[in-house]
This record gives sequence, C-alpha cells and structure tokens, in this order.
Amino acid sequence: MKFTYSWLKEHLETEHQYNEVVDKLTSIGLEVESVQDADLAYKDFIVGQVLEEEKHPNADKLKLCKVDIGREKVDVVCGAPNVTKGMKVVYAPVGSVIPVNQMKIKAAKIRGVESYGMMCSEYELGISNEHDGIISLEQDKEVGSSFADSSGMNDILIEIGITPNRQDCLGVLGIARDLAAAGLGKLKNREYKTEKGSFESPIKIEIQDNDMCPAFAGVYIKNVKNVASPDWLKKKLKSIGLRPISALVDITNYVMFDQNRPLHVYDADKIKGKIIVRSAQDGESFKALDEKTYNLKNGMCTISDEEKVLGLGGIMGGESTGCNFDTINVLLESALFDNVNTARTGRDLSILSDARYRFERGIDPRSTLEGIHYATQLILEICGGECSELVLAGQISETLNTIHISGKNIVKRLGLEITDDEIVLILNSLGFGAKKSGESIHCTIPSWRQDIHGEADISEEIIRIKGYENIPTSNIRAISKVNKDILNNTQKIISKAKHFIASEGYNEFITFSFSDSKKSIFFGEVEKLKIVNPISEDLDILRPSLVPNLLASIKKNTARGIDSLSIFEAGSQYSSTTPEDQINSICGVKYGLSNSKTWRSEKKQFDIFDVKNDLLNVVNYLVPGNKKISISDEAPSWYHPGRSGKIILNKKIEIGYFGELHPRIANKFKIKTRVNLFELLIDNIPLTEKKTTNKPQLILSDFQSVTRDFAFILDKDVKSSDLIKAALNVDTKIIKSAEIFDLFEDKSLGHDKKSMAIKVILQSEEKTLDENDINSLSSKIVDAIEKSTSGTVRS
Amino acid sequence: MVDFTKLEQEITNSLSKVTDLESLNECRIKYLGKKGEISLLMKELANLLGEDRKKQAEILNTLKNKILILIEDKTEELNDRNLNEKLSSETLDVTLPVSSSLGSIHPITQVIEEVVTIFGDLDFYVAEGPEVETDYNNFTALNTSEHHPARQMHDTFYVETQTDNMQNVLRTHTSPVQIRSMLEHKPPIRLIAPGKTFRCDNDQTHSPMFHQVEGLVIDQESNMSHLKGCLEIFLKTFFETDKLKMRFRPSHFPFTEPSAEVDIGYTKKGNQLVIGEGDDWLEILGCGMVHPKVLQNVNIDPSSFQGYAFGMGIERLAMLKYGISDLRTFFECDLRWNKHYGFSPLNFPSLIRDLS
Repeated sequence: MKFTYSWLKEHLETEHQYNEVVDKLTSIGLEVESVQDADLAYKDFIVGQVLEEEKHPNADKLKLCKVDIGREKVDVVCGAPNVTKGMKVVYAPVGSVIPVNQMKIKAAKIRGVESYGMMCSEYELGISNEHDGIISLEQDKEVGSSFADSSGMNDILIEIGITPNRQDCLGVLGIARDLAAAGLGKLKNREYKTEKGSFESPIKIEIQDNDMCPAFAGVYIKNVKNVASPDWLKKKLKSIGLRPISALVDITNYVMFDQNRPLHVYDADKIKGKIIVRSAQDGESFKALDEKTYNLKNGMCTISDEEKVLGLGGIMGGESTGCNFDTINVLLESALFDNVNTARTGRDLSILSDARYRFERGIDPRSTLEGIHYATQLILEICGGECSELVLAGQISETLNTIHISGKNIVKRLGLEITDDEIVLILNSLGFGAKKSGESIHCTIPSWRQDIHGEADISEEIIRIKGYENIPTSNIRAISKVNKDILNNTQKIISKAKHFIASEGYNEFITFSFSDSKKSIFFGEVEKLKIVNPISEDLDILRPSLVPNLLASIKKNTARGIDSLSIFEAGSQYSSTTPEDQINSICGVKYGLSNSKTWRSEKKQFDIFDVKNDLLNVVNYLVPGNKKISISDEAPSWYHPGRSGKIILNKKIEIGYFGELHPRIANKFKIKTRVNLFELLIDNIPLTEKKTTNKPQLILSDFQSVTRDFAFILDKDVKSSDLIKAALNVDTKIIKSAEIFDLFEDKSLGHDKKSMAIKVILQSEEKTLDENDINSLSSKIVDAIEKSTSGTVRS
Repeated sequence: MVDFTKLEQEITNSLSKVTDLESLNECRIKYLGKKGEISLLMKELANLLGEDRKKQAEILNTLKNKILILIEDKTEELNDRNLNEKLSSETLDVTLPVSSSLGSIHPITQVIEEVVTIFGDLDFYVAEGPEVETDYNNFTALNTSEHHPARQMHDTFYVETQTDNMQNVLRTHTSPVQIRSMLEHKPPIRLIAPGKTFRCDNDQTHSPMFHQVEGLVIDQESNMSHLKGCLEIFLKTFFETDKLKMRFRPSHFPFTEPSAEVDIGYTKKGNQLVIGEGDDWLEILGCGMVHPKVLQNVNIDPSSFQGYAFGMGIERLAMLKYGISDLRTFFECDLRWNKHYGFSPLNFPSLIRDLS
C-alpha cells in the first residue's frame, strides 16, 4: 500500500515529523517497506526544452538534441522515439542520480558524439513502468525550473506492507486512524455533503443472491461531462504510481485508495434495463476492462443487465459499459460482496485487481454509503450533472459485534502487567466501544475491523498500541525437564551416519526433493509421484530415490574440471504422494579418480570395493555389538548386475546396497566412466530398545598364535566368502580369523580358473599349539575348502 | 714385572686411532678377549701370593675398568658419527605435497545441528513430520481456511493423489509438525522441528525448496515474555554475541495471535554483515502466541493451555552467520562451494566446546 505523507495529513492532524510517523507505522504492525523522499530524489532534475533534434550521424535509432535548460544549452544524445523539437522534458544533468537504478549520470561519448546529461522516462524516475518514451511535460512548465517543484513531485512516498488481517488499512483513512490511536495525532473528520438527489434513478437494482452480494447501492448521475481530472487529483494518483484516465474513473480510484472503498462507474446509457446481481451461468463469457474475455462458471457473482454480464462483482467491470470522454449519464456503484466468493472467482479466473484484493479481505459495510456519497459529490463538482436519489438493494448490517474479555487473561497471554483501565483506553482509541463491567471488559468491535473475533485478537491490539518493546523478557529454563530425549533413535542414526560418511571422504550435497520423471523412471514408479504444478518440466515428480539427483550433479562437476568426486546425500525419497510413504535414505557416490597420479602414487579409479568398504564401515559403526553381516550379490536393477551387492544384517534385514551403476543408466545421464555408489536404508536399521553400555567380555589368549597361508586353484565363479566360511567352520574356537590376501588369474592356471590365497590365524586359549596340532588343523582346512569349492590346493 | 703405565699408554693410544666399530672390536679382543693381554695377565695372578697378588689384582682391575670405559666411549662416538652420516644421507624434501581425505558437512546440516544443540539445552526435543502433507495439516488446522488470503501468498506445490479426495501438498512451512505433535503428545510440549519446506517460487532470492525450523511451547503459563526470553537466548547463542540487539514488531500469521516478526541489529562493513553492531535491522523470524483455534483443532483446551510458536529459515541463518551471499548456491551441488562453505565431519556443535 503506497501513500504520500501529504495525503496522510489530510486525515491526520499531527505535529510529528514524517520519520517519527514512519517509525511508528512499523511498530504498530504496518511495516514500512520503503520511504522515498521525492524532494531529495528529484532535486537535481530540471525542466528543459528540446531546441533542435536531428539524426545521430553514426546510429539510426539515436538522435542528437540541443536542449535548453535555462542556464545553458546542452547537447544530449537521446534514444527515445518520441523526442520532438519544442518538447518540454525532464533533464537529468551530469552528476545526478537516476532513481530507478541509482546510476550516476556522466558526460560521455555516445557513438562518437559528446552527450551531456539525459532526458528521462517515467520509468527512469520511478514514477511508472512507462519506458517507451521520455516524459513530455506540459508546455506551461518554465524552462530551467526544478522538476520536483513545478510538477509537485516533492512529496514523501511511503510504502507499507499490509498483512492479510489489516484490511482496514488498505485506505489512507485507516492508516491515519491507527496512527491516531497510537498517539501520533488526531483523526480529522472529512466534511462532505450528502446529496439527496432530485429524481428517481431510471435504473433499478435487483439482487438475486444475497449471500454473494448483501447490498448494492447505486446513484444515477445525468448530464455529466467526463473530462481530464483536475491537477490535484491527477497529482494524487500519480504520486502513488497510478495513471490518470478520466475524471469519472479517477474519482472512483481515488476514493478506493483514500477510504478503502471500491466503487464502479457504468456508462448508464449502455445498460439495458435494470441491474441484476446474479450468479453466472456455465458457459457465459464476459469481456473485462483489462480487454480479456473470461469464461464464467455457475457461482461467480456477476453484475448484469437484462441482456448481458456487465461486470464481476467485487473484481472488475466490463468493457461494454466502460466510461469514456463521450459518456453523458452514469450509474455509480458501491456494493458489498462476499469475501470467500470473491476470492474463489478471482482465483479461478486469475484476475488480480485492487477491488478483489480489498473485497476478499473484507470491506467495512459502513463505507458503502459513505463512499458513494463522497464520490457523488466529487463527480458533481468535477463533471457537473445532476444526481438521482440513492437506490439501495439488499441490506447493510448496522449491528456491531460485542465480545467480553478479561483483563487477567490479556495479562496472562502477554506476560505484561497492564490495568483494565489502560486496556479500555487503548481499545477506545482504536474505535472499539470498550467499558469495564465487573471482572470483564465489554468491547464493541468497530465495523472496519473484520479481523477481530476474540480475546486473542484483542490482546494483539493492546500490545500493538502499547508497544512490543514493552514486553519484558522472562527466563524459560524449566525447573523440571519436559523431554527425556532430545533426538530420537533415527535422528541420532542419521546424524552419526552423516558425520561418519563425511569422514570417509564424502562431501555432503543437498539436492532438490524433486526430480526429472524421464531420468527417474529407472528408480521407481514415477507416475505415482507427480507434482501438479512443477516449477519446471525437469522437476516434475517427487524423487523416488536419492540416486538420480546425485548422478545429475556428476556431470555439472566434471564440466568444471573436477576429476574426483565423492559425494553423499541424506534425505527422503518417496514411494507415493501420501505423507506415510516417505523413506529415509543415504546415498554415497564415488566417481573418477580415487588417487590422482602424485609423486608418491599412481593414479587409480574408484571401484566397487571402495564403496563396499565405506558402506560396511558405516554399518559397523551404526550397529554396534554382536551382529552378523553377510553380503549377497543381489542388488536393485539400477546397479550393474555383475558388480553389485547388498548387505544383510542378521540373515534377514537388508541394510544397504553397493556397486557400480548400471551402464545403461550411466549412459542416460551422459556419464562416460564407471560410477560406484552405495545406499544405506536408514529405516531398516534396527533400533535397540534399550541400549546396554556394557561391552561383551574380552578374552585374550596368552598362548602363541600361528599364521598359515594356503593357496587354491578354483573355478572363476567361486566366491571368497565360501573359502572363508569353510575355513572358519573347521574349528570356531581355535581359528581366530581367515582372510583373503592374494588373488590372480592367469592362462597358465587353466580356462576359467583363478588362484586365491587365504591367511589363517590359529590360536588356542588353553595351550601353545604344537606341530601336530597345526598340521592336523591345516589339512582339515585344506580338505574343507577343497570340498566346498571343488578347488585344489597349490603346493 | 709388567709396566702397567706403559701398557695403559699403549692401549689408550691404539684405541684413539680406531676409526670404525670393526677395528674397535679387534682392539677389544686384543686386550680383553679370552686370550687378550689383560686376560692373560689376570690368569697369571694365580702364580702370585699374598700382598703381591692382591696389589697386582687391584691394579689390573682398575686398568680393565678404564679400558672398558674407553671402549664404551669410543663405541658411542663411532655410533654417533655413523648416525650423523646416515642422517645427512636421509634428508627429504618435506615441502612435497600431501592430501587430506576428509569430506565435508553441508552448511544446512551444520546450522540445524547448532540450532538443535541450543534448543536441546533449553529442553526442547526434535520433532519431525513428512514433507508431503495433507492440505488440512498444512493450512486448515493452522487456522488458514481455503479462502484465507494468506493461503494464496504461499505458492503451494500440489501433488497428484491417487486415493480419495484428500488434497496433498508439499508442506509450505514446518508448522504442520505443530499439529502432528500436539495430536500425539499432551502438554507440556517443548519442541523444535527442523526440515525441508517447499514453495512454488524460483528466482534470485527464492528457491523452490528450503529449510525451516519450527518451535512450539505449550503449557499452562508460557506467554509473550517467555517467547522473548527464549528467542533472546537462542539468537545470542547462535550468533555467538552477547551484544545482539533484538526488535519485536507486530505482524500477522493465521496460526498465532498476537503475532510478531523479529529483527536483529546489524551493520554492513564492506561486503560483510556484522550482527550485533550497528543500527540497521534485519528480519530474522516470525513468531507469536499460538492461536486458540489451533489448540481447539488439536483438542487442547485453550482456556487451560497456552504457549508460543516461532519459525525461521535455516538458509537465512546460515547466510547471515557464515557470509554466504546467494540462497540458490546451497543446492547447486558445486563441489568447490561445498568444500569452501562446508564443515569438518569432526565438528560437532557443542555448548561445552564450540558451537561452530
């Protein structure tokens, strides 16, 4: 909401400086978004006159102008199409600052020709968005005079943000009322005559649906002369960025911004028969003042005549009955429209208008008649003519709501000591009829406050005027604890996992929870994840997996010359669009070089065993204590079928996947080399009900341990886990560990054969093993492995 | 009779000429070995009697000990010399580069952990809710009816729903966690709810996904002065300055009444914002007393219980505290950015050690 300080002072008698007013506005909840002191912004701008104008020798679209600025004549290169000889212009001299972009004007050579200063458009001065041409001032402006003074652009423009509850401040009057209540002055009463009217309006009004439109007042004014508005009115509208059109239209706009009372004026001669306020019928269409045609639906509130739709109630008038300079007879409308219906219609048709904005927030019913009387008076003054008696269809509710509040409750809510008397005083200053009655306070809610319903709302009024800075600061440390655990188990797991994975060299990325359906199709049922109004085509679904977004980031980084990428994300993935189907997951991706070639090592690419190692480490970290972890070679379809696996906890819980990305998918993401990744299924990690702090007992043997190595020739598809399992099973007490330490393939071993070597550590807890014990165990190990793998030991 | 003085002279001389451990060993054998000169003289003692024997033995022992010390000294000297030679041949170029293998934690995670640490100390637990929400939880239960103007200001993402006629949305704020938590727990309630939020907005200063943290306190007495006390502790601790200035301004949210926006004082030094100095104000969060209708919607009696709620943007906190200038860079996944603005994985925010 924009207004000027001088406009405000028409409603507010105040001794205060404008900066005090500005501070107060913010502190009572009317947040000041900007203050423009036009006097300051325009102080350097001068009225100039174009004396000569010719084509620029080196540019088709530029002109060379000689401009008289009073004290001298200057050369200005100008690109505006509308510059003509004799035109009075706004001249920005060298050194002045253009308000819209804060650019400082310098003398410059433009295509080889010196140019001093600039001629400005309305856009450049921040007056409007008009930037097609420069401003053409009235011819009576004196060359060399200050633009600000001669055009009245010397006011202070204040813009405030109005929260949706404060509909009452969508007019300058309401803002003045709030400031007066806050002690910044006295509200002035605007005097205006209530014209009785000398004849009966020839246009009757009928409301068919009182829910949509509780009241509709009309005044018929005949023999008007629609002219350009007088200067004071033009200046007012321009000062808040509105373009003057004609007196009739400007008056209705002025009253709307002055009193928060939307009005509409119809060319009465274009109305056929009577005005009917009715619901639209499906299939009806209507051309609005914005020159667009809208298809209406049943339930939308229309203002119609006996033939057609003339306007959408509370939103926008129609082209067919718009006023122009030939208009002779008019009908002035001031009505009440239902806020919900207005909001719905406006939204369905995507029409934004000042009227809709106000009606959907709620309009003071009492402004209906006040507004029409004031506007009628202005029309008669400016356009002449004669007005009819007022026609009122429907009813304007006169009753005001009364609520009872308790001062004690207000104190309890605010944490601020305030007496009932002070509460009553504040409420009365805001226009509430408040009085004490025993323990409670009776408040009559003023008609302009559509947002006040109960005690909580009243408490806000009190503290707003009293000042938020007066609320004391209280200690909140509780005497007894409310919560046992700050983080739940899943939250702890995710936090620990993030830090652990990052310590393994991964960098945490956060990608959008959206994804591209075309690229995510490999990872889930994308048709179950659609967003109705996506931000862009390639972010059209909820992500079925963390993988695709991380893959998409690979390309971006390699394009920047990064040859080694270890990244992870912890977040949600979705299996449907219901709140319950959100899955916690962590995905880590390694791409490119695990080692660049350095002075101490050869370069090496990441492989599946890097990610397997990282995943196993984090699982071991997150699931402490006794557990059984096994690896199987099954993984989801987005992994390379022969280079992937999953980790299974305690024989049944799938806890994570690892492996190389399926080359077909890599190809889709335009990734040229192998990508290895892991996924950790957070939700599958078992939560221990009660964590024991005891660790299992440690048994250390003091007897000497013995290490023995064995090598086997095996079929290529034999798994290392089979060797280890066979070895360990020989004697679970004495065989402390069995590890693969060598693996190679060579033609000399035979077709589809490989050699694998295992290191076994033997140690008894009862004695030092002698040669016999060791030999006997060794041969058992060899036998067991040969039997389970059909391999042969290498001697 | 052996001339012991001469013998000692001779041994000392030959030892001093020794230049390596091997010759030293030869020397030792020559005098102290089984058949060495001293050893032989020792044996000859058996042929002597009485006082002579005693006297001779004493002289021999003294001589032997002297030689042992000389050998020991010489050994040490030679070892030292050898070591020094070795050291000078082992010199490396220590300026050769090495590399670190630690990854990094995203600033969003860091800031959420800081926030949790501070509120955890104030006895708040961390609540969560889903990112896909029902329209009811996101709006209606929070006193934002279908036609409330605030609802249009939210630029909501809607999702296609297969089942029934429930309209689901991507939550536009973390406030629906209030609803879920109050339905689940009876007061007293003290919680914060950090998480992802979504709005259909994408430009210089908006990202379609961002993070918020919600706070909620419901009991029998918490009022606006407690809200002020709570936010003061939080903001001062978070920005790590006791000089922080805070300003409450009236505002409007459908789910709180009275509502406030909170500004903090700052000044600009060059391109950097300095929080805690200067006279300019910067909006940091929205808050207020929970609206009685919201309590009614979750079956809490507003005549017995009351409390406050607040919500703030995590990115904004991160940008202000860590000097990150562009909101959109948080999700651009540029490794260079993450390495620059990210945190060590070993950095756990703590009120005992360091918060950041």
